[in-house]
Amino acid sequence: MKQLLKVDGLHLRFGGLQVLNDLSLTVREGQIVGLIGPNGAGKTSCFNCLTGIYQPQGGRVYFDGRDVSHLPTHRRARRGMARTWQNLGVIDSLTVTENVMLAQHQRAGYSALAGMLGLAGTWHRERELRRDAAEIIEYFGLDGVADERAGELPYGVRKTCDMAMALATDPRLLMLDEPASGLSPEEALGLSTTLRELRDRLRLTILMIEHHVPLVAEVCDYVYVLNFGELLTEGEPEAIQRHPEVIAAYLGGTAESPAEPEAADDDTVQFASEPPEWPLMAEGKSNGTA
Amino acid sequence: MGAFFALGIFQGAVYGLLAVGIVLVYKAKRVFNFAQGEFGGVAAFAAFYLVVNLGLPYWTGILGGLAAAVAMGLAVERVIVRPLESASRTIMLVALVGVALFTIAIIVLLGQPVPRVMPPLVEGSGVNILGAGILPQQLILLAVLAVLAAAMAWFFKTDLGLAVLASSQDTRAAQVVGISPVAISRLVWGMAALLGGIAGLLYAPVGIFTPGFMTLTMLVPAFAAAVLGGMTSLPGAFVGGIAIGVVQNLGIYLLGQQLKVPGAAELGVFALLMLVLLIRPQGLLGKEA
Amino acid sequence: MATATMTFGRIKVARRFGLALRVAVVLALLVLAALPLLLGGDVWAQRISRAAIYAIIGLSINTLTGHAGQISLGHQAFVGIGAFAAAFMASRLGAPLGFGLAAGALAGMATAAIVGMVALRVTGLYLALVTLAFGLTAETTIFNWREFTGGGAGAFAPRPALVSSDHAFALLCLGVLALVLYADWRLVSTKAGRALAAVRNDERIASTLGINVTGYKLAAFSLSGLAAGLAGGLFAHWNQVVQAMDFEFQVALVWVLMTVVGGLRSRLGVILASAFFALLPLTLPNFLAGLPWQPPFLNEAVYHVLPPFIVVVMLLIVLRFFPGGLGQLLRPATRWLTKGGDR
Repeated sequence: MKQLLKVDGLHLRFGGLQVLNDLSLTVREGQIVGLIGPNGAGKTSCFNCLTGIYQPQGGRVYFDGRDVSHLPTHRRARRGMARTWQNLGVIDSLTVTENVMLAQHQRAGYSALAGMLGLAGTWHRERELRRDAAEIIEYFGLDGVADERAGELPYGVRKTCDMAMALATDPRLLMLDEPASGLSPEEALGLSTTLRELRDRLRLTILMIEHHVPLVAEVCDYVYVLNFGELLTEGEPEAIQRHPEVIAAYLGGTAESPAEPEAADDDTVQFASEPPEWPLMAEGKSNGTA
Repeated sequence: MGAFFALGIFQGAVYGLLAVGIVLVYKAKRVFNFAQGEFGGVAAFAAFYLVVNLGLPYWTGILGGLAAAVAMGLAVERVIVRPLESASRTIMLVALVGVALFTIAIIVLLGQPVPRVMPPLVEGSGVNILGAGILPQQLILLAVLAVLAAAMAWFFKTDLGLAVLASSQDTRAAQVVGISPVAISRLVWGMAALLGGIAGLLYAPVGIFTPGFMTLTMLVPAFAAAVLGGMTSLPGAFVGGIAIGVVQNLGIYLLGQQLKVPGAAELGVFALLMLVLLIRPQGLLGKEA
Repeated sequence: MATATMTFGRIKVARRFGLALRVAVVLALLVLAALPLLLGGDVWAQRISRAAIYAIIGLSINTLTGHAGQISLGHQAFVGIGAFAAAFMASRLGAPLGFGLAAGALAGMATAAIVGMVALRVTGLYLALVTLAFGLTAETTIFNWREFTGGGAGAFAPRPALVSSDHAFALLCLGVLALVLYADWRLVSTKAGRALAAVRNDERIASTLGINVTGYKLAAFSLSGLAAGLAGGLFAHWNQVVQAMDFEFQVALVWVLMTVVGGLRSRLGVILASAFFALLPLTLPNFLAGLPWQPPFLNEAVYHVLPPFIVVVMLLIVLRFFPGGLGQLLRPATRWLTKGGDR
């Protein structure tokens, strides 16, 4: 199978903190690959490097055989890299339908200026986009809340909306940041059916960060284990589960650990997204004081 | 040219004094206080009323002016800042701009927009520094700036100051120390108003003053001074204020007098502000955070 | 409404009737709004022009702050540059009105685009400061540049024969306002509006959805500057003379407050608030002179500060009690008018 994503020797530092150290991984087309590791291992930072939100100090990212290391985030997205967010990538002030239509941005088929001038074709395209959005919304069972503002919906529904948005970008690679967090164990296992279906029906490739071990074991073709920014090991899920170092570092005690903090949503400077040793700060940030 | 340099240093002292108040509010609350200048405006007009209109002794004017400024600071904290605590920073800034315009409007309504002359703290002719006549009042201003900047820097090293800083990171952290966030908020705005009041009282006698004199001409240079100093550094506010004053006056000399460019003072300040923000956003003396 | 294909005949009738009622209400409101223009003579024609120009300025600020979430406290610079450019075209080059307005719009757009480039590096509160300092600098530097602005005497902007009457000019201003309104409506209804909402809320999410955050920010500034410059051009010909003192930086602050009072992202609210503040300085002296009791402290200078005073009082009320501005108060009515109570 063809390599869709290849990451070569990523180095990421925030001040004195080495967040990623010589991280390399490969995702082949049609695979579902897991990225696991304890909190603060650098998993979300890795996603941020892949999507271009962070500029790593070293290393390359190849997507579909081409070096995308220097492309801005939106250009990578246009090539087919989509992601979901641990803190959810939905825009609270828009409705679910508007959020999905927002995600269809790159395939709207008309320029922003044409839309603003109200040129003939744009009205038609808007209707088509709305119809497509309705289809996606229906697939995810969100039709009941399609016209509700996303910010007023419960967490689980917004999480589904986030996934629907990632799909609406028409991606080739779907990067999921803890898709099972906040779901009940049964829902988490149900997710494996959805993920397989997405891969098989839409020919998607999936890279996911996940803590929920049964889901990883159930659905992933291949697993990378991260610890302190370095690759601890990699392999088939069965082998990983028996790996002594993995058990020591990760499966040992923290399977039920809380979500790792996202980077501050500050509008000026972004600091380290995962400061493991400052629980007080992490609390403050989740409180929205940043 | 030397005279412009000297004028700039003393003009910069009032920017520095306003900047100290701006930095205090920013450090403690992460808010840009666009009403800082009008604390001084209120103090100056209250003092003028007491000293000139009522003929009371000068010290009552000073006390009355500072009391008026602090009262305004506490009122702003209660009526504007606290209710908008959870609003976005931009809305807060718009509201504080509103406070400044509101205060100017009140002063005009009560006192008419005529120029006034406030008697100086110390009478006497100016001293000659590099060919510029510097009033005793301006010497006092510079000295007070140095003392207050040092005092505020010291304040942030005390337990109380550290609690104020902690509350800017996390309101619960301050509660752990045992001080309520409301008390800290009152303290910060009261102190900022006091600093603004001192600036207004000391600067009003330097020339004639009109309603809005602190906001319309002083506020932007004072913010530029705070940014130049790194926005959180009190020595930075001192140095930044003087630097802005000097740049402004050199701008007047080089651009205005030599090249006849209109608005040279504002152009100088704007250019310096842009330069700092684009090249060294953390300011000259600022650290991250 | 597509989902509301009712099978019960009676409800269908009620719906159709509702639509007719709504159309009738809108028409009645429009006629009511047109009455001053039809019956009010030149004075009201002038006032309506001014209200329309202010509404364009309010919508311009709304584009930047409401849609894109960027702040500008120096908007009077964009409007002023547009005004001086239009006056320059009209009086120095003798260009037709259309060219003057286009030049004003382009000048405003170019200026705003430059400020927008700064906004890519400098965000939030610092951007507010930079735009404020920029407005102040523009006021004292560019607007006092004698060759361009005519210095203290101001620059003249005579109206061409076609719109020389106040009524014709009012129609021109209303026409431009209608165009701006249409563009704003289409903007928020299409992909650019959604993209700006994403940029406003979370730039990182926006970029991972394939949205060029940099491009949209610059576009928002340019568009806002375009409308502001256009309003400036109209203002120049409305007043027929432009002076630097028309564009003091307090004016920009009042405009921003005015837009927030109207309600960000509410077209109707912004227009009403803008019109109110456009007319306030013109009607306030007469209104106060007509009062049976004359407050003792009133004089010319006080008229100058009363509008800012009133806008600030309104702002404080709005921010505390209904943060959505006038638009929030009007929402039930506008929702009924546009959707017939579907939601």
